[in-house]
Amino acid sequence: MISLLNRKLWRDLRRMTGQAVAVALVMGCGLAMMIMARSLIYSLESTRQEYYEANRFADVFDLLKRAPNAIAARIAEIAGVATVQVGISQQVTLDVPGLDEPASGNVRSLPDFASPELNRLFLRAGRWLTPGMRREVLVGEAFADANHLQPGDAIAMLLNGKRQELRIAGIVLSPEFIFESRPGAALPDNRTYGTFWMPYKELAAAFDLDGAFNFLSLTLAPGASASPVIAQLDRLLTPYGGRGAYGRADHPSHIRVSDEIRVLHILSIGFPVVFLGVAAFMTNAVLSRLLALQREQIAILKAFGFSNRQIVMHYLKFAFVMVGAATVFGGCGGVVLGHRLVVMYHRFFRFPELAFRLDHTALPLALLVSAGAATAGVFSAVRRAARLPPAEAMRPEPPASYRPALVERSGIAHFLSHTFRIAVRNLERKPAQALFTVAGLALATGILIVPNAFRDGVTEIMDFQWDIVQRQDLTIGLVEPGNARVHHLFRQLPGVMAVEPFRSAFVRIGFGHRRRQLAIQGLPPNSVHSRVIGESSRQIRLPQSGLVISSKLAEVLGARVGDELLVEVLEGKRPVRTVRLMGLAEDFSSMAAYMDMHALNRLLDEGDVISGASFKIDAAHRGEFLHALKGIPRVSWVTIKESLRDNFRQTTAASIGLIQMIYLVFAMVVAFGVVYNNARISLAERARELATLRVIGFSRREVGTVLVTELVILALIAVPLGLLLGTGFATGILREVNTETVRLPLILSASNYAFAVLVVTIASSLSALVVLRKLSHLNLIGVLKAPE
Amino acid sequence: MAARPQVFRVRGLTKVYGMGTAEVRALAGVDLDLFEGEMVVLLGPSGSGKTTLLNNLGGLDVPTAGELSYRGLDLTVANEDQLTRFRREHVGFIFQFYNLIPSLTARENVGLITEIASNPMPPETALGLVNLSARLDHFPAQLSGGEQQRVAIARAIAKRPEVLLCDEPTGALDVRTGIVVLEAIQRVNREMGTLTVLITHNAVMADMADRVIYFSDGRVHHIRTNEHRAPASSLNW
Repeated sequence: MISLLNRKLWRDLRRMTGQAVAVALVMGCGLAMMIMARSLIYSLESTRQEYYEANRFADVFDLLKRAPNAIAARIAEIAGVATVQVGISQQVTLDVPGLDEPASGNVRSLPDFASPELNRLFLRAGRWLTPGMRREVLVGEAFADANHLQPGDAIAMLLNGKRQELRIAGIVLSPEFIFESRPGAALPDNRTYGTFWMPYKELAAAFDLDGAFNFLSLTLAPGASASPVIAQLDRLLTPYGGRGAYGRADHPSHIRVSDEIRVLHILSIGFPVVFLGVAAFMTNAVLSRLLALQREQIAILKAFGFSNRQIVMHYLKFAFVMVGAATVFGGCGGVVLGHRLVVMYHRFFRFPELAFRLDHTALPLALLVSAGAATAGVFSAVRRAARLPPAEAMRPEPPASYRPALVERSGIAHFLSHTFRIAVRNLERKPAQALFTVAGLALATGILIVPNAFRDGVTEIMDFQWDIVQRQDLTIGLVEPGNARVHHLFRQLPGVMAVEPFRSAFVRIGFGHRRRQLAIQGLPPNSVHSRVIGESSRQIRLPQSGLVISSKLAEVLGARVGDELLVEVLEGKRPVRTVRLMGLAEDFSSMAAYMDMHALNRLLDEGDVISGASFKIDAAHRGEFLHALKGIPRVSWVTIKESLRDNFRQTTAASIGLIQMIYLVFAMVVAFGVVYNNARISLAERARELATLRVIGFSRREVGTVLVTELVILALIAVPLGLLLGTGFATGILREVNTETVRLPLILSASNYAFAVLVVTIASSLSALVVLRKLSHLNLIGVLKAPE
Repeated sequence: MAARPQVFRVRGLTKVYGMGTAEVRALAGVDLDLFEGEMVVLLGPSGSGKTTLLNNLGGLDVPTAGELSYRGLDLTVANEDQLTRFRREHVGFIFQFYNLIPSLTARENVGLITEIASNPMPPETALGLVNLSARLDHFPAQLSGGEQQRVAIARAIAKRPEVLLCDEPTGALDVRTGIVVLEAIQRVNREMGTLTVLITHNAVMADMADRVIYFSDGRVHHIRTNEHRAPASSLNW
């Protein structure tokens, strides 16, 4: 049997369905965001953890030139090391049927007769390599998908310059390549870069590494920490050309997933707080209105002997019903959005299975948080009402006191129409309600700025990178640094309009106690293709000696122009030199260092050599050029600017589009909800006033003007504030998201602001229209006959 | 009396609210003529149809059946816009609850009319007619009940209406204040020649009318014509 008080609750709620739904929707948006983000964090973290455990992902990794396999035993003796696995990792070039340009990739060795101890593969399709069988290869799924490769298909691989026809045995996944991209590339290009696995024996033979290894991974003993192991490993492997060991925290694939999780953490807290804050204000406005209306009912209930507690609970239940609805809505919304985003993650992250996993703690948490927000929003109003002595509550509320509004006192009163005066005086008399509407609208405007700022930032980087920094059409890298004369050979290739050589070397740069590993780019001093850009977008002419580094790297190292930096070369003769910092590059590349090519070659002490070259190609001869390239065994990799751009549009741009859509919908909901709620309350509180205006001869449109004037005034205050707020949001979020590896510029364009204003205007107008329709159903006589 | 031009012509006026078992016949065939400059008092028990008639006369409601015309304008077929225009140009309303706009001063409440009416009087003049010249810039919350009702009267007459419709204008007031309000209404009727229809439960007020129309069960029960109208100041109850 439902209590009569609860029956009253349901009937009252039915009469305020519109507003309850508006509150629940806004609250639901925050909860959906929270449930989505928390569930995605849970999905990514747990899936990655299980994957790592099941496939024994290593803790520490190192690349080196060449070391005898016997060294593995000495590595295993380092304190804190559990399991060591050594093998071969080599850059290769491929000829893939149906692909114009040569593809490149990383080929890894697998033990000939046993399964690997660490970084075990997951077989997606086909079969494992047959022991003893030659010319078989396993292909990473990202590359296979992008090139439509199936088990049984043939591909040609240039192994150390020798072309080999290989048959694909299986399509696999590896915990090392959840995010699969060319080393150092910010964006994946799965069509032209892939990962492959072959038997150790075959690779050792091809690369002259019999009985030796050039790649190792190891796991740590329980409780051991990575840094002492890395330090010992570096000492041990330096004579063998060790590149510098790194832990999971610096593992490119691991970092990318962690970065995503970090962004989700920001989303899971920041946005729900904002949305629930607005929802709390809305609940307060709705319930305050209800309490004012039911003042006499409260008095009667109290006169009958209901306790304050019962009355407080009765009205809190209104809030809880909305919270319940919001949780259901937020839960469903969060799950749907989560599923959509997981599908998007499939484009970037390769797991054996990445399914959406609902974080079961998220729902109760959502309920708790929103109930808390709602209670905070209404508790004081409810308690105030309950505390009123019955006799006092039965008398009508004291009449509202008004005074001329501030704008009128400033002396422009006689320019204002009476309807305008009604609007501004009402706003001034109820500053809290006005403030809440302004806050809600400002917020809706603000959250629209964020995704477009992201999009514009990414576009800016890409335009900058591809139009200003890299003017070449494509770039190739050599298997091994080669004599500078090869670049004259490159000039002979069909369709070549311009060639520029470059030299790159893997180094560790240090200043004080800070160190970072990266590749120094050696460029011609006045490079036309790869330009080093300094302050105010001006090209920097590389000095004849000394380094130019990105300002982000300088910041990380704490170095200033003029400082002497320690450069330890991690390849070749491994010289260690101090080099003066001569300038800062102000581009978006997070970690970059540049030198004059000849200066770099002098530092490396290996003569006049190049690592690769960049080309400008006559578009008409592009096909011929690429074909010719496939025949040059020394070419290890090729990147084509247009392919990168296309690929970017299909992946990153598409996912930004999805996120933009979510923000758009949420902002519409908030703007609609806030305006609707405000207008409904205005309408209800002033039914008598509006009806009076109708009775004395104002038309529906003229009466509507009073309501709309209020909304327009509020919007005029809210929207500029919202643009400021959005600027703050975007700045804050970018600061949180930006790391040493990701650096997005803050781009706030006029079109971004215009879009936000447009969307909020549309949403507000729609909800105002809905309320204005209610105005025409106003019962003129009924309202006026009732006592005030 | 019959020499005065006719303002309203009402024949067989019927108003039914609700349907089926919930059907309420508020007006059950009213025949009535109302003339220029008349002061008419409607008397009758609650639910007899007085207010429904007043609302129909004032264009706040439309009848279910019958004829209702204002100076030849058929109000039964008028649409929303036409009714709004009719109220705006010709009708002044006064209710038991004053229904002033709380956010506007006395002068501004009256001034509202000047924004929409075609030939309004200045708010100060209208408020002067109801002896409120001293309270022009007070907000409703700063005025007594009688003063608020007089502002409502001033607002109703500022457009120089041809019809003043009063629904228990003194219902919420004490005797002395009520008389002040009635004096104001009477003065408007006398000086401006406005047809005034006044609903009351108080039979004493009938003495100030030209005609007293008794209502019962949605019909005109009988009509009494007063030889002399008593001044409002002489009334007591």
